[in-house]
Amino acid sequence: MKIVVVFKWARNPLDARVSADAAISWPGVKLAASDDDPAAMEIAAALAAGDEVVGLTIGDGDTAWAAARGAARTVVVTDAPGETDSAATGAALAAAVRRMTGVGAVLIGDSAWDYAVVSALAGRLGWPAVAGVTAACPERGELRVTRRLGAATQALSAAGPVVLAVTANRAEKNVPGMKEVLAARKKPVEKITAADLNTASRYQVQTQGVRFPDTPPARIIDGGDPPTACEQLIAALRTDGVI
Amino acid sequence: MAIDGWVIIVDENRAGGMLDAARRLGGRVTAAVAGRRDLAKRAAGMGFDRVLCWESADGVPPEAYAAAMAERAAQEAPRLVLASDAPPARVLLGAAAAALNAALVASVRAVAAAGEKIVVSRAAAEGKVLEDIAVSGALAGIFDGDDAEQRGGAAVTVEIVPAEAGAALRVLSTEAESGAAGLLTAARVVGVGLGLRARDDLQIIEKLAAAMGAETACTLPVCDDMRWFASHSVVGSSHSRIAPDLYIALGISGQPQHMSGVRDAKVVVAVNSDPEARIFKNCDYGIVGDLYKIVPVLTAAFAASKNP
Ligand SMILES: Cc1cc2nc3c(=O)[nH]c(=O)nc-3n(C[C@H](O)[C@H](O)[C@H](O)COP(=O)(O)OP(=O)(O)OC[C@H]3O[C@@H](n4cnc5c(N)ncnc54)[C@H](O)[C@@H]3O)c2cc1C
Ligand SMILES: Cc1cc2nc3c(=O)[nH]c(=O)nc-3n(C[C@H](O)[C@H](O)[C@H](O)COP(=O)(O)OP(=O)(O)OC[C@H]3O[C@@H](n4cnc5c(N)ncnc54)[C@H](O)[C@@H]3O)c2cc1C
Repeated sequence: MKIVVVFKWARNPLDARVSADAAISWPGVKLAASDDDPAAMEIAAALAAGDEVVGLTIGDGDTAWAAARGAARTVVVTDAPGETDSAATGAALAAAVRRMTGVGAVLIGDSAWDYAVVSALAGRLGWPAVAGVTAACPERGELRVTRRLGAATQALSAAGPVVLAVTANRAEKNVPGMKEVLAARKKPVEKITAADLNTASRYQVQTQGVRFPDTPPARIIDGGDPPTACEQLIAALRTDGVI
Repeated sequence: MAIDGWVIIVDENRAGGMLDAARRLGGRVTAAVAGRRDLAKRAAGMGFDRVLCWESADGVPPEAYAAAMAERAAQEAPRLVLASDAPPARVLLGAAAAALNAALVASVRAVAAAGEKIVVSRAAAEGKVLEDIAVSGALAGIFDGDDAEQRGGAAVTVEIVPAEAGAALRVLSTEAESGAAGLLTAARVVGVGLGLRARDDLQIIEKLAAAMGAETACTLPVCDDMRWFASHSVVGSSHSRIAPDLYIALGISGQPQHMSGVRDAKVVVAVNSDPEARIFKNCDYGIVGDLYKIVPVLTAAFAASKNP
C-alpha cells in the first residue's frame, strides 16, 4: 500500500525562552521532528510492505529526514504557512496528498506540540481518520488500527484511504546513522509551492501579542527542616480543602 | 454581538469547561454529542441550550460520524466550535472546521468576543505564556483550559440526529487496562520518579500512600527502565491521565509528557531536591528537599492529621 508520511519541523516548546515581557524567543534552538514522527514512520514502513512510502513536509527543514527512515522520495511544499492558523497548513498538506495517486494511508505524528495540524489535515482530506494510534497492521484487506483511549486500548478496522495520527510512547530507538542519512540525500525531493496546489491561504487570524497567564506561581517551601516544611504543607492543603 | 457556539462531546472530560468558555461569546451553546445516548443525556443536564446527538450504534466509533456532524455544522454555521483533545473529538473537530472553513487553533484556554471578532487565548511555550489571537471568521479550537463543574438546572431535550456512519471505521475490541481502575478514580495519588534510588525504597512511598489513603503512580522510566511498576501505573501523555484532588510528585523532574497526565489534578505538590527542577514551575506547592528526609515526616504528618 502506498503511504504518505507527513513530518513536521518545529521547535520544542520546552526550549522557548520567555523574557520579562512574555515575548518568546528561540536562541539557538534548531527545528526538529517531534518524538511522534519516527513512530509514524515506523508504522508506515511496516504497512507499505514494500510499496512506496512518500515523505511530505512544508518549509525549509531537512528533506532527508523521511528518506533516511525508508521513504523513497519526499515532497516539500516550500511556502505553506506553518504558523498560527493550522487550517491553512492542513489545507496545503491535504492538497499535496490529493496530488498523488493511489495513496492508501496518510500517517502523521500526533504531535502534542501542536494537535491542530492533525485535525486540519484529516478534516480537509475528508478521509476516515483515527488519532492516538499506537500500532497498525494489514488485516483481511483492511487495516487493523490500535489506539489508546484514556486508559483503554481499542482496536479498530479501517477501510479505504485513511489518516492515522500516531503517538509515540518513547523516544526513537534506531536513529539513522550517517550512512543512511548520506544515502537519503540522494533520494528525489520534489519542491512545490502553495500556488501549484491552488491553496494560496487567506489569513483569518491575527496575533495580538503575548502575556503571562494570571495563575499564581507555586508556593515554594524550603525543605531544609522537614518537620516545619511538612507542617506548612499540611496547613496549606487543609486551607485548600483537599485534606 | 451574540456568537453561537458548538461544543463537540465524545466524553465528559472538560465538557463543563468548554461550556463556560463558549458562554463568554453570549450566544446559544449547542452540545454536539457523538456517542451513547446516556452521554447526551448527561450533557443535557449540564446547562447546554441544546443537545444534538449522533447516537453511535454498537461497534461504531465517534469518528464515523465526522462527515454527518460536519454537514450539520455547515448548515447551522456556528462561529465557534470547541472540542477536547480526546482523539475522536479532534477528528470530529477537524471535519467541522473544514466544513465551516474555520481557523483551527490548539491549546485554547479561553475565548472572548471583541466586536465582530473572536479573540482566542492559546497557551504557547509549554503554557508559560498566553497568546491572544483575533479571528475574523469561524474558529475551531482544541480546548485545553480548565474544566468546570456544571450544576445544570432543567435538562433540555436531546435531539437525536439520524445519520449514516459509513462502513470505513469499526471498533473491533476495547480493553480497559486492568489494574488502572483504582488510579483513574483515586482522590489522592502519590507519584514516584527517578529520584527514588532503589526498588526497596518503595516501602517509604507505600507507607506514605497508606497514611494518605492514596494510590501510587510513576513516571515512564520508573516503569520502562527500572521495572518497579507495571505500565498501568504510568501517568502521562502516552499513558494514563488522572484527575485526583491531590497529587504528590516525589523525585519527578516535571517533563511535559508526565505533567500533561496530571493537568486535571486539583492540587499538585512536588518534592524535589533540585531547586531548578522544572516541576516547580508547574505545581501548586513545592518542597525543595531530599525526598528521603521529607517522605517519612510527611507520612507521620498525614497519619496524625487523620487521627488528631
Ligand atoms: C508538516 C510541517 C512542516 C514544517 N516544516 C517547517 C520548516 O521546515 N521550517 C520552519 O521554519 N517551520 C516549519 N513548520 C512550522 C513550524 O512547526 C512552526 O510552526 C513554525 O516554524 C512557526 O514557529 P514559530 O516559533 O514562529 O511559532 P510557534 O511554534 O507557533 O511558536 C510558539 C508561539 O510563539 C509565538 N511567537 C512566535 N514568535 C513570536 C514573536 N516574535 N512575538 C510574539 N510571539 C511569537 C507564536 O505565535 C506561538 O504562539 C512546519 C510545520 C508543519 C506542520
Ligand atoms: C514519546 C515519549 C512519551 C513519553 N511519555 C511519558 C509518559 O506518559 N509519562 C511519563 O512520566 N514520562 C513519559 N516520557 C518520559 C519523559 O519525557 C521523562 O523522561 C520522564 O517523565 C522523566 O521521569 P522522572 O521525572 O522520573 O525522571 P528524571 O527526569 O530523571 O527526574 C528525576 C528527578 O528526581 C530528582 N531527585 C533526585 N534525587 C532526589 C531526592 N533524593 N529527593 C528528591 N528529588 C530527587 C531530580 O532532581 C530530578 O528532578 C515520554 C517520553 C517520550 C519520548
